[in-house]
Amino acid sequence: MKDAMISIRNVTKRFPGIVANDNISLEIRKGEIFALLGENGAGKSVLMSMIFGLYEPDEGDIWIKGQRVTDYSPRQAARMGVGMVHQHFKLVENYTIAQNIVLGMEPVKKTLGFLPLVNLTESEKEIEALSHRYKLDVNPRARIEQVNVATRQKVEILKMLYREADILIFDEPTAILTPQEIEYLLEIIRELRENGKTIILVSHKLEEIKEVADRCAILNRGRLVDIRDVATTSTREMANLMVGREVMLEVNKPAPAFGEVVLEVENLRVKNQDQVEVVKGVSFQIRGGEIFAIAGVSGNGQAEIAEAITGLKPVTDGTIRLNQVEITHYPVRQRNLEGIAYIPEDRQAYGLILEDPITDNLALKRYFQEPFSTPGGKLRPEAFVSYARRLIDTYDIRSNRGEASITRSLSGGNQQKMIIAREIEQDTPLIIFVQPTRGLDVGAIENTWQQILREREKGKAILLISLELDEIMALADTIGVIYNGEMLEIQPASALTAMEIGAYMMGVKEHE
Amino acid sequence: MNKKNPLTAFLGNEKWQWLSIPVFAVVLSIVAGSVVMLLMGKNPLAAYVGILQGAGLVPKPNYAGGTGMLTDFTSFLDALAPMIFAALAVTVGFRAGLFNIGIAGQMLLAGFFATLLVGYSDLPWYLAKPLVLIIAVTAGALAAGLVGYLKHRFNISEVVSTIMMNYIIAYVTSYYIKSYFVNPVSRQSEYIQPAASLTLKNLRVGGVRIDVSIGIVLAVAAALLVYYLLYKTRLGFEIKAVGANKQAAEYAGIHIGKTTVTAMMISGGLAGLAGATFYLGHYASMQPGVLAGLGYDAIATSLLGNNHPLGVLLASVLITTLDKGATYMSSKVGVVREISGVITSLILLFSATGTYIRYRVNRQRQEQKEQQEHREPPEEQSASPAPGEVSAQQVEKSREANLKEGGDEA
Repeated sequence: MKDAMISIRNVTKRFPGIVANDNISLEIRKGEIFALLGENGAGKSVLMSMIFGLYEPDEGDIWIKGQRVTDYSPRQAARMGVGMVHQHFKLVENYTIAQNIVLGMEPVKKTLGFLPLVNLTESEKEIEALSHRYKLDVNPRARIEQVNVATRQKVEILKMLYREADILIFDEPTAILTPQEIEYLLEIIRELRENGKTIILVSHKLEEIKEVADRCAILNRGRLVDIRDVATTSTREMANLMVGREVMLEVNKPAPAFGEVVLEVENLRVKNQDQVEVVKGVSFQIRGGEIFAIAGVSGNGQAEIAEAITGLKPVTDGTIRLNQVEITHYPVRQRNLEGIAYIPEDRQAYGLILEDPITDNLALKRYFQEPFSTPGGKLRPEAFVSYARRLIDTYDIRSNRGEASITRSLSGGNQQKMIIAREIEQDTPLIIFVQPTRGLDVGAIENTWQQILREREKGKAILLISLELDEIMALADTIGVIYNGEMLEIQPASALTAMEIGAYMMGVKEHE
Repeated sequence: MNKKNPLTAFLGNEKWQWLSIPVFAVVLSIVAGSVVMLLMGKNPLAAYVGILQGAGLVPKPNYAGGTGMLTDFTSFLDALAPMIFAALAVTVGFRAGLFNIGIAGQMLLAGFFATLLVGYSDLPWYLAKPLVLIIAVTAGALAAGLVGYLKHRFNISEVVSTIMMNYIIAYVTSYYIKSYFVNPVSRQSEYIQPAASLTLKNLRVGGVRIDVSIGIVLAVAAALLVYYLLYKTRLGFEIKAVGANKQAAEYAGIHIGKTTVTAMMISGGLAGLAGATFYLGHYASMQPGVLAGLGYDAIATSLLGNNHPLGVLLASVLITTLDKGATYMSSKVGVVREISGVITSLILLFSATGTYIRYRVNRQRQEQKEQQEHREPPEEQSASPAPGEVSAQQVEKSREANLKEGGDEA
């Protein structure tokens, strides 16, 4: 009790439709590496956000260094020595490393006795000393845009150390690093502990937790499942605790009736915008009436697979065939017409034009065809309206002003309904669903699942990319597990348990 | 802050915002202009009447021989034509998410080629006039199309490339005008042949001298055509989709590059027509090395018109009225012409606040609504930045929203 750096007491945090943290109590001791393990949506980030002052708990208290915090904010957190290394770096690209580190607390020196100018010479020295001490060697005068991801992360860490933080929260720090860089980072984390810092490591990678952490709290659906000593717990055990649960929703899934192969992906390779290969030779096929689910932790290449099939990302190598027609290098429009419907992950950025009315968005993939346009290129507004009215009715899209409502004014769930309505109505042989239920409440999730199953009944080939194991277990006929750009395993859904999938998702090999 | 504000209620009606907000902005600016006049000890009402008189919209107490209210009015229409074209050019660009600041340069290039190729020729009017239009459209469209291509192919900001091109065009044309067809007295280019002119100058109607502008007819037609293009055609749908959300447009299968270049060419073509009616109509001559201020005023005009072709028509009338009436107003009320410039600028300044007013009004309505709905999370994002802009606030909001959706994405 005495040496508790952070003490969380009966904390509950609710958001509309979900309980993100349900009566959680835990203590983090001085000088330990404390891991927080859980799936996506388990409530890790919310819990960390409360420790860092971004959210306030609905119930319960947070104590930091024996002091109960009230009126808490990130600024307050920083003052109390809590530092967070964010998953997405918060750095100014064209500033030097030293400038980034001092940003917000720039040392000001009176030049010529009166001119208050920022003086970085001493800070640079200080930063160099700090970086030597923690083996975080960086050149303080290099610009952020010139340095790689691993160095940027070091800068984030140095930023916290420079502010004399002694509780450091790492939010999924290894998600974007190479294996070598991960090794090095874990080394740094140990070094920080040797120097008396308290570390909170948020992760869902079992192996690195096993390697570096002292204790580990496992969250599942907002509840604290257990706190274990890492030394005496196997990764298998941790995976079980993390994934194991009763199925949330019952779905009535009829027996499959597979048809012809609709989509055939062979040896697909895709690079991201930084020219790093993120899909490394993936092959799979989907038959009509089959739901093929790609399971995996976010950022392992699954989003890029969807983008490559739909034509939004160029394919570096391999072939994509749709109903025996090779579409590998077709433009987007031609693929859509050839028979692809796509429910994208980021519905506000890709799926909808938020400033436009419902009518335009529902017709976004049809506006150029009869009856929406004449062959001469003139629009027929009455066709937009009647089509929108029909879809609003069929798919129960709720808005304040009917089909004329601006899309931005709809709730997230109704926006998603719009996209699903539009895509299903395309009546294509292949439908790609990426994270179709992200952010939806239970009722909407069930509704969406029913829709996906109905399309399966109609004999559509369905590619489902999801980070939710529940969803995959409930819907998939066949499951492919992707890890680091490679499809580790493709099996009929009945041949895999959630535990096994969970293990593959973490990159744990079959026979450990 | 959260009490029901009648002004918010009035301006908040989304159906009428296209009209109510610009009108509100204009009223604000007239009030601000009055304050300036009052501070100078002048009668603001007299000043505003003076502006209308100068533009030929209200009769002056007396006229010089051979002139009348019709003279002022036709001259006003003649000046109105290039403003409408130029503001429409800005509008088409904005709608495609492109900020065409190169209107002045595109006008100059179009005017230059039309003057060079047709202005001094002996072609009869029925060949010369259409040729002027065709050359002007082509020159403007090509200049702007190049900008669109650079934007798409090399991701060069159209703001930078159009500004740079403005200067290149200004200096290159200046060199040729000064070298080959400058009038040594006026130091402008020689006047063009009347056959090539888009304004029929010095006609006499009932003993009063008038200028008949062909351009104004074309400009009004162009406004209707742009309206038709943007709201009634497939191409317009695509242009607006690309302008509103490039990613979603690409997702829907719209060819971003083609649409960007096409929109830019339409914008440039309209700028070319502005150039033709300006240099081969209203002035019939070119001033070497000078970019028309109208090319920049058109940006404010388009904003004041809410980037809607019909709104632009009204806004052009307002801005041109101020511009044409300023001289007469200053002599009548007895202030230096610069003061009328101040008034014009104030109106332009307030007109640009339309977006801000809309943002404030909609946010306030949003807050009222949220209060009623017992602190539901803000699913609507009331901040509506101009197309192409990313507001930090919005990014922050969507980030929060993501967190709230309970997904701690890895």
